Amino acid sequence: MAELVQKRRKDWLIESPGPSQVRFYVRQTIIYGLLMGCAIIVLIPVIWMISTSLKTRDQLFTGKVEFVPDPAAPENYADVWEKLNSISPQMTFARILANTLFITLLAMFGEIFSASLVAYGFSRFRWRGRDTLFLIMLSTVMLPGIVTRVPAFLMWRDLKLINTYDPLTWPSLFAWGPLYVFLMRQFFLSVPTEIEEAAIIDGANTAQVYWYVMLPLIRPVLLAIAVLSFQANWNNFQSPLLYLTASERFPLALAVRFFDQSLSKEAPQWNYMMAMSTMMAAPVLAIYFLAQRQFIEGINFGAVKG
Amino acid sequence: MESALDSYLPTLGRYVLVAIGLLVLMYVIYRVQLWFGIKREAATGRALVMPWVIGFLVFNLFPIGASLYLSFTEYNLFKPPEWVGTDNYKEIFSLKAAKLDDPDQRSREVLPRRYREVWRVGSYVVGAKEEDFWISMKFTLTYAVLTIPLGLMGSLGVAMLLNQRVKGLSLWRVLFYTPSILPVVATALLWRWMFSQNGIINTIFDPIYDLLSMEIPRWFTEPKMARPAFLIISMWGVFGANSVILLAGLKGIPQELYEAAALDGAGEWRKFRHVTLPMLSPSLFYILVVSTIGALQVFELAAFIPTSKEVGTFINWLIYREAFDTRHMGMASAMAWILTLVILAFTALIFRSSQAWVFYQGTREENN
Repeated sequence: MAELVQKRRKDWLIESPGPSQVRFYVRQTIIYGLLMGCAIIVLIPVIWMISTSLKTRDQLFTGKVEFVPDPAAPENYADVWEKLNSISPQMTFARILANTLFITLLAMFGEIFSASLVAYGFSRFRWRGRDTLFLIMLSTVMLPGIVTRVPAFLMWRDLKLINTYDPLTWPSLFAWGPLYVFLMRQFFLSVPTEIEEAAIIDGANTAQVYWYVMLPLIRPVLLAIAVLSFQANWNNFQSPLLYLTASERFPLALAVRFFDQSLSKEAPQWNYMMAMSTMMAAPVLAIYFLAQRQFIEGINFGAVKG
Repeated sequence: MESALDSYLPTLGRYVLVAIGLLVLMYVIYRVQLWFGIKREAATGRALVMPWVIGFLVFNLFPIGASLYLSFTEYNLFKPPEWVGTDNYKEIFSLKAAKLDDPDQRSREVLPRRYREVWRVGSYVVGAKEEDFWISMKFTLTYAVLTIPLGLMGSLGVAMLLNQRVKGLSLWRVLFYTPSILPVVATALLWRWMFSQNGIINTIFDPIYDLLSMEIPRWFTEPKMARPAFLIISMWGVFGANSVILLAGLKGIPQELYEAAALDGAGEWRKFRHVTLPMLSPSLFYILVVSTIGALQVFELAAFIPTSKEVGTFINWLIYREAFDTRHMGMASAMAWILTLVILAFTALIFRSSQAWVFYQGTREENN
């Protein structure tokens, strides 16, 4: 009965809003209006990319803005690979995808593996020079990649490893991402020492403590770093551009450029280029929507605690 | 026909070898330290950070030194580097100013030979021998100076919107962050398409061009239009990521502070100015540093969006081409060093100024 009265009262309030209610609704309208505006700005380019990828050549330059192509041309997604095949026979979709995954997964594993070890050493042990070294590591973030690029290229050339995946994969084992070390260190620092001590008293050695005690405890940050690292390596363009020369060894990012620079050079074939872009974006978007919590956490750890 | 495995297996083998070698090396370093009588804790800690130390020496410190050396040489990959002293730097810093007799005069008539126009200030014109470097430097710096504050303000606005106890917060957040997830390769191409002659942007704005009786702009080749175009692209990409960080910062501000401010009679603006901004300053500082470093090193956008010579391009891409297209490795190294110093100067400036405006909780109170 009391509930019913309350509900009545609520309905009544809505029916004849007082001045504060009016202000509340105006405010809400403005807030949601602005949010919708931002959402439209964010989404239109993405929708346009997908829409273009489904258009035929004739539908590209109609002078009108058409978001839903009629008829749609999903065959673009297959045709673009046939076209690439015609100038570079070994550039199949399967091969390019495998290349991208090969580079991405090896680099991702190396980054997580090394960053967790290094962060462990920087956080749970006391030794002279630790904080100085950690500061040096953080300051390397400021170093522009371009300054080391020429000598690094010469180094790999002397090792005869240009046009192999080596420069893109195993250097990740040397903790090339200071940011990930920083994130994990923050997490290790938040684990109470008692947990570690208890394990040591039970007779565990350092490797066992790290593997069985610490790693499970920092699983949220490991996941966050895994998704961030997957995205960064999948999207990476600079280093493959520098080190890979044979088109059949290209990851997706370079295949897109290859198409842009060869078949699309004179008259840009936007429908095919957008199809390739969509293909490249789809996996990262999928992982992002599945693991968005980890993503958001990952970018927040660094900023809020730094 | 090369099979895929032929290109994967050797790398995979070396990957495993390096990983095992690294673990063995860490163990050896640990043992050696114990042997020297160092405590177990310190020895373990040092052994654990070895991967980074080795990586730093081999992939950072050594290349930095080598790059400094190369910047004093001429090197085209085929002949060994030839020492030329400071010639590369002298060439870059060859700048000459001259006075124009009338504004329509062509700069070539007043500048010495080999000097091309970079700036025109009033009736003066400044020329440089490496005019591409300076035009691109000017382009990159103005881009950075515009995009950083605009991006910061925009993302702060979005973060404050999201902080208004809106429904479906996580959905909005996911949505706004999407542009930062997409591969830059894809977004660069997408924007080139949207800004192209027959692209969606010109189609939408066509009535407005008619109204203003202006021609359809060629966004990336006209000096006046290129910068706004790149600004729009960067705004779209950046405000999502930053607003997520700022939102977390806003959520961390204790509500009591606002209540206390309200008791003292502070209005919305003073609450923002004296509570929100100081409390948010660590996040703002982080974003400022990260976006400065990022804005000065734009690469993919430049690689996928050709611009005209008059517009210039992003300096990072220009240096890359100088090194790997024209193979002027020495000159490129000198340019890379100048860029490094510019980035260091910017970050040093931010760090110095931060003492005045970044407030860490419990360490300092704001004094009005």
